[in-house]
Amino acid sequence: MLTEELQNSARMLGEALHASPSVQTYLQAQADCAADPEVAEMEKRLLAMYQALMGRQQRGEALPRSEIDVFNALKGQVHQHPLIRERDAALALVKLTFADIADDLHLSLGADFGALAQTGSV
Amino acid sequence: MIIQTPITTSTELETEADQAARELGELLLHTPEYQAFVKALNAVNNNPAIQKISAEIRSHKNALRWSREEAGEHEAALSRLETELEALLVAQGYPPAEAAVCRLFAEVDTIISQAGVPFAANAKRSGCGCGS
Repeated sequence: MLTEELQNSARMLGEALHASPSVQTYLQAQADCAADPEVAEMEKRLLAMYQALMGRQQRGEALPRSEIDVFNALKGQVHQHPLIRERDAALALVKLTFADIADDLHLSLGADFGALAQTGSV
Repeated sequence: MIIQTPITTSTELETEADQAARELGELLLHTPEYQAFVKALNAVNNNPAIQKISAEIRSHKNALRWSREEAGEHEAALSRLETELEALLVAQGYPPAEAAVCRLFAEVDTIISQAGVPFAANAKRSGCGCGS
């Protein structure tokens, strides 16, 4: 159980990140994608195709090249969509912001907060 | 009457986040979990037997990376050394100390991430430097 002081400090960092231009831009880009029926449908189709192919591969099936090509074509189409490109670009900037903040934490602690936190969440 | 909206620049916001991160880092630094982790880590780093085994493991892994010759022997040695290493780490109390600090950091990460985007999962620089 976290102390109240730790909870407040973590919340303050979260709020400061939320207010940063990079996160605001990303959240807007994410909302734009979610509001566009074409994007939502394309992403849903891509995910369903990915899960189906992965499932078959994990069951030992050798996937035909033609089906992999169809998947890659859809993936390319999805990533070329202007709204998705905007969202991807915004996320790349969020990652840079977050990596800078993780560096601050690393300097204070002498340990990689991100790596340890991710191990703990598995 | 003119109401002036305070303008917050990008630099100010980043400074706010930087400052919040440093304060959080200071708090985490003094938690019992983190102190126990550092103690166990130092014990591991200063244990000659652990360092020797770690060096041997690296050597076998390098051998496997560059050549498949005598791969079976390297793999058998790796398996034996990893078991030995695990036993030594347990003796130093490292695994529970690491697990406790990972749990603590994961809880903190959950709170930071409530602001909208998962923090730890995205706090990574890409290899190519373009941020993608």
